[in-house]
Order: sequence, then C-alpha cells, then structure tokens
Amino acid sequence: MYLLGNASIYIGLALTIYSILVFIIGIKIKKQTLINSGKGGVIAVFICMAVANAVMLYLLATSQFQYEYVSNYTSSELPLFYKLAALWAGNSGSLMLWSFFLTMYTAMIVVSRKMQGNPMVPYISSILLINTLFFFIILGFVSRPFALLDYVPAEGRGLNPMLQNPGMIVHPVTLYLGYVGLAVPFAFAMAALILKNVDDFWIKMTRRWTIIAWLFLTLGNILGGQWAYVELGWGGYWAWDPVENASFMPWLTATAFLHSVMIQERKNMLKVWNISLIILSYALTLFGTFLVRSGVLTSVHAFGDSDLGMYFLIFMGVIVVGAIYVLMSRYHLLKRSAGEFTSYVSKESSFLINNLLLVGAAFAVFWGTIFPLVSEAVRGTKVTVGIPFFNTVQAPILLTMMFVMAVCPLLAWQRSSAKNLRKNFLIPAVLSVIGMILMVTLGIQKAWAVIGYGVIIFLFVTHYLEFYRGVKARRKMTKEPVPIALYKLMTKNRRRYGGYIVHIGIAFITMGIIGSQNYDMETMKTLDIGESIDIKDYRITYERLEQRAEGINDIVYADLTVFKDGKRLGVFQPEKVFYGNWDEPSTEVALHSSIAEDLYMVLSTWDENGTATFIIKVNPMISWLWIGSIMVVIGSVFAIWTGRYQNITPKYTGVMKEVA
Amino acid sequence: MKKNTIMTMAGLAIAAAILILLMAATPASSGIELPLKELLENQEKHKDDFVTVEGLLIEESIDWNADDIVLKFDVQDEEGHTMHVVYEGVRPDNFSEGVIAILQGYLGEENTFNAESVQTRCPSKYEGEDMEDYDPEFHKEKLGEPSSEE
Repeated sequence: MYLLGNASIYIGLALTIYSILVFIIGIKIKKQTLINSGKGGVIAVFICMAVANAVMLYLLATSQFQYEYVSNYTSSELPLFYKLAALWAGNSGSLMLWSFFLTMYTAMIVVSRKMQGNPMVPYISSILLINTLFFFIILGFVSRPFALLDYVPAEGRGLNPMLQNPGMIVHPVTLYLGYVGLAVPFAFAMAALILKNVDDFWIKMTRRWTIIAWLFLTLGNILGGQWAYVELGWGGYWAWDPVENASFMPWLTATAFLHSVMIQERKNMLKVWNISLIILSYALTLFGTFLVRSGVLTSVHAFGDSDLGMYFLIFMGVIVVGAIYVLMSRYHLLKRSAGEFTSYVSKESSFLINNLLLVGAAFAVFWGTIFPLVSEAVRGTKVTVGIPFFNTVQAPILLTMMFVMAVCPLLAWQRSSAKNLRKNFLIPAVLSVIGMILMVTLGIQKAWAVIGYGVIIFLFVTHYLEFYRGVKARRKMTKEPVPIALYKLMTKNRRRYGGYIVHIGIAFITMGIIGSQNYDMETMKTLDIGESIDIKDYRITYERLEQRAEGINDIVYADLTVFKDGKRLGVFQPEKVFYGNWDEPSTEVALHSSIAEDLYMVLSTWDENGTATFIIKVNPMISWLWIGSIMVVIGSVFAIWTGRYQNITPKYTGVMKEVA
Repeated sequence: MKKNTIMTMAGLAIAAAILILLMAATPASSGIELPLKELLENQEKHKDDFVTVEGLLIEESIDWNADDIVLKFDVQDEEGHTMHVVYEGVRPDNFSEGVIAILQGYLGEENTFNAESVQTRCPSKYEGEDMEDYDPEFHKEKLGEPSSEE
C-alpha cells in the first residue's frame, strides 16, 4: 500500500510533466498524435490521483496507524464514514482531494463530446496540468500524505470532535469542488487569449463551468454556515472569519462574472473586464488557500502552522503575473470591435452597477480581511477589524444589490422608454410602499428592516410579473393550461428562469439575514431544577441534569420542557460532550425550528448542586436562509440542465483548426 | 460626450461611494491587538480602545458567580504581569489552569479589563472546523511566545 500510494503520486507527477511537454510540442509542430498522447496522459494522471485517494481511503478505513496521516486524524473507535472523511481533515489529505477534483475536471474536458476537435483543448489541458503539477510537487515533496512513522502507535489521535458532524462530509467536498472548479474558467480564459479568440462558444462553455463552480461554492458556504450554526453553539451562521471571507470573495467575483458575461454576449463589450474577473476569482481561491494554510491570520478554520501557505502564495504570484501578461499582450485585440451603451436606463447599465457592487463588496471583504496584516506592517500595531465593520459595509451594498436585482428583469436591453418604465414599475412600487407602511403600522420600526423588506417585496413583484407575463404571452399563442405553459416557458429559456429562481432564493436568504440580524433575542440564566426561563412566547423549564456514556465519550445533558403560548412543544436536550481522546468538550445545541423562528438552547455550565446555566436564543427567520439556499441550488441546476430545446452549444468559430 | 465615458464616470462614482463607506466604517468598528504587557503599561492611552489581548489563565483566581452570570478571573503573561478580568457571560469550556484566554473588550479600572468576549485556545491552537493538529508538546513552546502565531 505504501508503495502503491507513493508510486501513484510520483508516476502522476511524471505523467503530468510528460503531458504538458507533449501538448506544448504538439501545438508547436502541429502534430496530432502528440496531442492525442497528451490527452491519454491527462486520463492517466486522473487515474493516478484516483488510485492515490483510494489508497488513502483504504488506509483510513482500516486504521493503519503506522501512517502519520492516519494516526493524526483518526482513531479506531470512529465510525467508518468519519474515518473516510478524515481524508480532508488535514493538509496533505485535503490537497489530495483537491488534486483529485482538478484532474477529474481536466479529464472531463478532454473526453467531453462538445470539446471534440476543438483546438482549445490542448491549451486548456496544459494550463490545468500546470496547476496539477503544482499540487503533485506539494504532495510529492512538501506535504507527503503517505509518510510513515518509525513506530506503530496503538491508537490514533482521533478526529477533532468539532469535525464529527454530518457537515464534515459535505461542506469541505462542495467547497473544494467550487474552488477547484474556478480553475476551469481560468484555463478557458487563458486558452482563448492565447488563441486570440473569444467567441460565443467560449462564452457558453466558460459560463457553464463557472455556474458549476459557483453552485458548489454557494453550497459549500451555506453548508458551512449551517454547520457552524448547529455545532459551535454561538447561534450565528457567519462570522466574517478570514477563512469564510476567503471563500466568499471568489463567490462575489464569480457572481459578477456570470452577469457581466451576458453583456459581452449581447453587446460584445467588457471583454477585458470579464477576463479580469475570471483571473481574479481564480487568484482569490489561491489566496484563500494561502490564508487557510499559512496561519498568518487568527481563525477558527486555520490549519496547523505549516509553510504550505508560502507555496500557495508563490504559485498565486506566478499565475497572476502569467495571466496578466497574456491579457496585456492580447489587450488590443479585445478592445477592438467593442459595443456602445445606447441608454443609461437599460439592462446593460443595471448589470454594470451590479458588477461594481459585487466587486466593491469583494474588495471590502478583502480590505477587512487583510487590514490587520497591513496595519501591523505599516504602523506596528495590529488593528483588528471585527464583525461590525463587515456588517456596516456590506449591509448597504447588499441592499443596493437587492434593489438592482429587483429592477433589472423589467428593464429592456438597449433602452427603456419612460412609458415602458411607468408601465413596468408602477405596480411593484405601489405594492412595496404599501408593504412598508403595513410593516411600520404592525410595529416593525427598524429602518434597515423596513427598507430591506420593502425592496424585497419589490423584487418578488417584479419577478412574479416576469413569470406572469411570460405565461400570458405564451397562452395567447398556444392556449395551453397555465402549469404546462409555465413549464414550457421555463424549460425553453432555462438560463433566464433559472436565474430568476436563484434571485428569489437570494431574496429569501436576505430576508433571513435581515430578520435574524435585527430581531434576535438572547438570555442567559442559571436555573435550579424546576425553575424556568421566559423568553418571547416561550417558557423553558429545567427538569433534570443527566449523564450518559456513548462509546468512549461521556455526555452530560439537561432535559428542558418547552411551552410556547401555553402549548407544550416537547422535551429538548442540549448536551455537552466530553471526549475520551480529546480535551475540549463540545456543545450540542438543542433546536426547535419553525418557519418564523428558531429556539436555540445551549447548556453552558453546571454545578454539583444541580444548578445549570443556559443560553437561550430566539433567532427569527433562520429557516428562510435554508429555504432560499435550496432555491438557489434548484435555480442554478435548472439553468445548466441540458434541455431539449436549447443549450445548443454554438459552433466553434475561432482560428483554423490545426491540432485539437 | 460618449455614453461609454459617462457610464464609466458613473461607475467610478459608485466605486468611490464604496471606498468612502469603507473609510468611514474602518475606524469606528476596528480595535487593536496588543500584548498584555504593553496594554498594562499604556492603560491611559488605550482606555477608549476596543482591545484584543491574550493571557494565561490563573486557575485559583476564577470566581464564577452562576446566579448573576459574572465570571471574574486573572490572566498573566510569561513575565508575570497580571490583569484582572470581569466578564458578564458564561464560563467557556475547558477553562482551566494555563489555557490561553483571548479577551476582547475595554479597559476598566486600574489593571482591570471588562471583557465582552472570552475565548480559549488550548491545548493547542484554537482551531476548529478544518483540522486540529493535536500535539501535547505543541502548546508548551507556544506559551513562551504567545503572540508569535498571530
């Protein structure tokens, strides 16, 4: 196994170098057989990485503690799926997973039917292989996953209890799929620049891949938030932690790209900007990895100190400089034949504003993340920038964003006339004003909440109108029943309606954010047995404190009977888990969720006489976050699903095909 | 003027607005991070600052009032400078001798710190979701230089 694992990494490394070389030579001397050999190499590299991962999974599953990695992150009493999940618990394992995804994506492009006979393939593959090479070098020489200990420990150190949560299975995997996925649009962009061809085919393919990466990034972030919410016991889902920011920044820039590429498609504008966004998104994923692996910033997520971060920083530097060089050398070509704005009030201009807001938001996050480092370098004191900073800056940006999102669907391409504007916006505007007045009279007084919800009503109405008008127009022609008309309308224009579903999902998430940020309640109290806490409409009675054993862990839990408005909701058990092989206990929250609010109960400490201290929170509208997230996922899957009616990939119209 | 130029200017205006927002938000919502010794020596200077500071917990000083939910304790650095801390909140998990307490809050009276948050970092680094490279020897050497890993 030791041999097989290491061999697959070193053979993979050799094959990567080989493939890069044959691709470059093949392109230079225009020889198809060399290119084909390189494509075979790509698949072989993928197989090597798959084998290496499989070997590691096998070692983890069978608890072979003579391997440093296995003994560092698992112990024999762990359930099997956590043993396997330990593949991405540590540095070298998670890099293996990363390389696996990277080689998988590369292989997918090489074998893809759509890419057959396309001269971009050798370029894209070589660029992705250069990335792969970096990971192989790290795995082969810096952070070796199959390193052996010189003794065989009887027991491993175990997996950090915080990681023993279902979130551990999906959150890192989706996040990595998203991170790695952004390498693909980057490779497409570089290939297009080198070939001097940015055509419709390129736009379609790049957009598709970006949506895939974006979808996984979204999922990864949301699942991380959900995990933090149930596991860490502080009742929040997002803390603007440097590592969270690291995955949020590429998300923002990728979102910006997905919108501005539409202007390029329609009007042939913003080409340089779009390619810059792709480069930026990819660079930000590497920067994020640097933050996580280097330990320069204090964070709950940080991996242990290692010099891996430095390698990522250097690699990022190389990539960025290379990309900018390619971009600059093709600058004049991109500048040529650019379109013009014809009106200030049009879809184009709203997309442009959206882009500026998204990139601005990304910059604000970046600023806040690196500010401590900058201030320490410049002034000598380390200035910390906390959650309030991010909230103050991001709240207005998010709100403006929502407004643009609400307005955009009803704006016409090219130009919107005054009459058209009145016709489209009168109803939504009136409805949202009525909504805002209602909210104020019903007792919602906070300005942020009222304005925010008002804008969201606007958004819902404009989006509803889009669906309504589409169905109406269709029925005029076809006389279909409403559901069929709606279904056909949507499936014939998946991108557009998928996008709308995503928008509505984001609106739901925003409602959840506004609600939970502005109207949360918290109380802390020490109770004797039989006493109770009243919070909002809830009465929580402390019944007893008990202890039970589960494997090698001891669990202390309290029975809390919860009544809402006099109605019994049941018995809830917040827990504190003490681990047999870990010093720090962990908190298991008791949660009662409803569509309106979550009741969040934490057992903090207790005394020998039976009194116990509880933190009880009421977090309004948290469920809306999760509902909105599901809609975002549905919307983006809907948009990229290959339907019968469209998504016909345009023909490649670039330079003459010499080798492909 | 060409419309593209005007659009560019409008874009720049939005960018400027975001920058102004950033500048306005930075001083109000930021704080400083200091070693315990420096904080104690410059109490007058930092009396209005939101401070992040670390110290080693002295276990016998812990005074936990469960009824009022007030936690009082002392922290010290490796040179023996001590500071009293008052925290209106619950006792963190694993609050025992020698853990590194990360405190955020404002200075109160002489040598007293009113913490708004108390986190612990022990036995190794305070790290969570992604991995923990637990090593019993690790924190011992870190204690000698608590600020080195920031």
